Amino acid sequence: MEVNELIENSPIRVFDESINGGLGKGNIGVLASKHGIGKTACLVHIATDKLFKGEHVVHVSFSGNVEHVLNWYKEVFREISEYKSLDDAFSVYNTMRENRVVMNFSQENVSVDKIINSLTTLIQQGSFQADTVLFDGYHLTKATADDVKKIKAFAQAMNIEVWFSVSPVLTDVQFDQYGVPETMKPYIDLIDVLIGLRYNEEKSKVIMTVVKDHSKSPSHPTGVTLDPRTMLITQ
Amino acid sequence: MTKELKLMRNIGISAHIDSGKTTLSERILFYCNRIHAIHEVHGKDGVGATMDSMDLERERGITIESAATSVNWKDYEINLIDTPGHVDFTIEVERSLRVLDGAILVLCSVGGVQSQSITVDRQMNRYKVPRIAFINKCDRVGANPYRVVNQLKEKLFLNPVMMEIPIGLEDKLEGVVDLMKMKAIYFDGDNGEILREEEIPASLLSEAQTKHEEMLDKASAFDDELMEKLLEGEDVPNDLVERAIRKGTLSLQLCPVFMGSAHKDKGIQPLLDGVIKYLPDPTEVTNRALDLDNNEAEVILPSDPDAPTVALAFKLEDGQYGQLTYIRVYQGHIHKGDELINTRSRRKFKIGRLVKMHAAEMEDITDAGCGDIAALFGIDCASGDTFCAPSLNYTMSSMYVPTPVISLAIMPKDKKSADNMAKALNRFTKEDPTFQTYVDPESNQTIIKGMGELHLDVYVQRMKREYNAEVEVGMPQVAYREAITQRADFNYTHKKQTGGSGQYARVAGYIEPFTPTEDDEDKEYQFVNEVKGGAIPSEYIPSCDKGFRAAMKKGPQLNFPIVGVRCVINDGAWHPVDSSDLAFQTAAIAAFREAFLKASPAILEPIMKVEVEGPSEFQGAIFGSVNQRRGIIVSSTEDHSNCTIDAEVPLAEMFGYSTVLRSLSQGKAEFTMELDHYAKTPVSVSDGLKKEFNEKKKGK
Repeated sequence: MEVNELIENSPIRVFDESINGGLGKGNIGVLASKHGIGKTACLVHIATDKLFKGEHVVHVSFSGNVEHVLNWYKEVFREISEYKSLDDAFSVYNTMRENRVVMNFSQENVSVDKIINSLTTLIQQGSFQADTVLFDGYHLTKATADDVKKIKAFAQAMNIEVWFSVSPVLTDVQFDQYGVPETMKPYIDLIDVLIGLRYNEEKSKVIMTVVKDHSKSPSHPTGVTLDPRTMLITQ
Repeated sequence: MTKELKLMRNIGISAHIDSGKTTLSERILFYCNRIHAIHEVHGKDGVGATMDSMDLERERGITIESAATSVNWKDYEINLIDTPGHVDFTIEVERSLRVLDGAILVLCSVGGVQSQSITVDRQMNRYKVPRIAFINKCDRVGANPYRVVNQLKEKLFLNPVMMEIPIGLEDKLEGVVDLMKMKAIYFDGDNGEILREEEIPASLLSEAQTKHEEMLDKASAFDDELMEKLLEGEDVPNDLVERAIRKGTLSLQLCPVFMGSAHKDKGIQPLLDGVIKYLPDPTEVTNRALDLDNNEAEVILPSDPDAPTVALAFKLEDGQYGQLTYIRVYQGHIHKGDELINTRSRRKFKIGRLVKMHAAEMEDITDAGCGDIAALFGIDCASGDTFCAPSLNYTMSSMYVPTPVISLAIMPKDKKSADNMAKALNRFTKEDPTFQTYVDPESNQTIIKGMGELHLDVYVQRMKREYNAEVEVGMPQVAYREAITQRADFNYTHKKQTGGSGQYARVAGYIEPFTPTEDDEDKEYQFVNEVKGGAIPSEYIPSCDKGFRAAMKKGPQLNFPIVGVRCVINDGAWHPVDSSDLAFQTAAIAAFREAFLKASPAILEPIMKVEVEGPSEFQGAIFGSVNQRRGIIVSSTEDHSNCTIDAEVPLAEMFGYSTVLRSLSQGKAEFTMELDHYAKTPVSVSDGLKKEFNEKKKGK
């Protein structure tokens, strides 16, 4: 299969459809759930889809382990390229590598200003035309509305799509029926797309629900689920 | 002769230039030697009693330069290991850091934590070397040890704990307050060799008290018993506190800080006590080796004197006594007359003369125990070789030696330099397997090859410094490779039938890109014979193989080796009289050349994995510099005020990068690089290379 076909047939198209054709530049999207549901895999799959399209992605991580993140990309790519028997996988992968930067902050409680500053530096001085920025594991649940406003302003100024994965740090947080933690309430208005992830034991799948879709609110299913085996988004 | 391992320390002294490493080393040798001399004053001829200062100077001069010097302090034996002054990516740095178990980090009380201290410290972190700090030059104008302690925290992210405070500073420096004993210590005598303990001066009492509490507080985190006693307000014995600080230091979570002035002979003896109390003995460090009989699996070497011997040759030295090989014994022991195996060369050898380098003399010994450092005479080996008992096949460092990626022509300036250069090259290639040399048959120039510009530069500098060989250096040259990107057929007839016995051979088949699998022994070339019906007699098949191999040695584009080709022959013709081995070889070479140009040839270039580290404020400039060099940024990591950028950059673009990086970061950023893989050059680059090559060819 060629890359173009792969993009067309990707379950991400279905996902995009469910949120009104995609998140869109200058907007903030959030994947929320409890720990260990597979948000990183989800983010990496979204990123891989963008990379297939030749877009540039910055993956912001806070784990302190860059290798770990790079391995996620390798795994997701391997799953997809083998499953779909992608043509010339080697050179596709090489192009993807060129268009991806992992930015890691190993310091605890790094400020939003510092992150934005580093991203701006990369984009401007490193001439890296980022289309999408992923915040993997940022403690958005501890963030203030002010922080989120700054990120939103950055996304708009740079014309970038921003995705977050969010899990609460504390253990006694309440989750709603879709898997969204209540700690997000203070700044939920600032978020453009909110997806809740919740494990459904009967179907042994992770259900992905659109909780918020570009100021349209009534929640509806995304039409895709996360396969806990491959950790990939599937139809 | 069995030595108590607990009584042994292998340490290095690392420092920024001009923070007084040499003076401190001298003082350590002096004090240790004094003690040593007093210990055995009846045995020798009284040399130790009064030493002529000139003699001392001369002896120091010799010993300080040696790679490892053994001294005795009280009941302990300390091996001082020379740490390389330049911290770059040569294998040598790794080796010297491997053999030391702990280190003294020397800092200048005025200059504080300087860029090189940061570099050295980072290296030590990488090799997990526990260290104690010594703030030197407290007698200098502007001395402020407190500020330096702060910098240890802020710039090196260490957890410093002050073991002393100064009594007076600058020209009023009198001594130090020992915060453990809570006593003032003064250094009397001509050379500060007499310690005088007194009560703490009243003016310093309250500060000493505060710092003492601080020390207890930091120590208590590492010992429950101490913590309990402190919480219950009981008196704590000093040995309990020392135990806790030792634990903290060994786990790299604490850095005890001593201070004084080596030049003014103040504070050295307490520092030596600190080495004994807080730095690890050989049994407290985990050493690993790779088992060559078990697919290079990692094995932990227990410091067991009865186990089979494992030792590492970490330094070769050309001394006045001939070639000395410095070794560290990791397991078992080395005995004069023992037979050992060099696991690299698989050569067996017998241990002849075994010596120990002391401050004042060289001592012949018959046995070196595990953890010990000694030197061997007359062993033919390279630096980094592992010596094992015949029953083992371990190596201390991976046998994998990366292929050099850059070469440089060097020309000696005169006859004397030429001789010295030859000597130097002979030595360097023994020391460092990644450094190679050969004479180019075409230009008759000596070519040196290595892992990077800086790598080669270090050796050129050393040639001048250590061997007095002045050389002129050519432009660095990247080791490119040539490859094909698609299949191409060939059908070539080699015919030379002009009277007498002629030459005749025809070969047909195709070449295609070859992607090796794990099982393929040769990862660059594969030969497949599909000839049927005897179109080529079987005796000439190896001739074809040989011909292809010969053709692969020099590509038609740039004269660089060709890699990654599968050659398949499936047809041919022969002549009962005129066909020969040579004829088929010639035909294969010509057939290969013909097909190669049809197979969309490409030029491959080495891509380096580059790691740049420096203060965050230069992150943007570093990003920019990578971007300008056709590089891709793989990742960036920020940690407090520091950032690390991992990138992949073609080697050809990295020339002069150290200068660029230095100027864009005010000398605060540094980089290392190693070969990652070979990749196709962009067309614009390969066209430029070919044009240049052809012009050069025409010019000849």
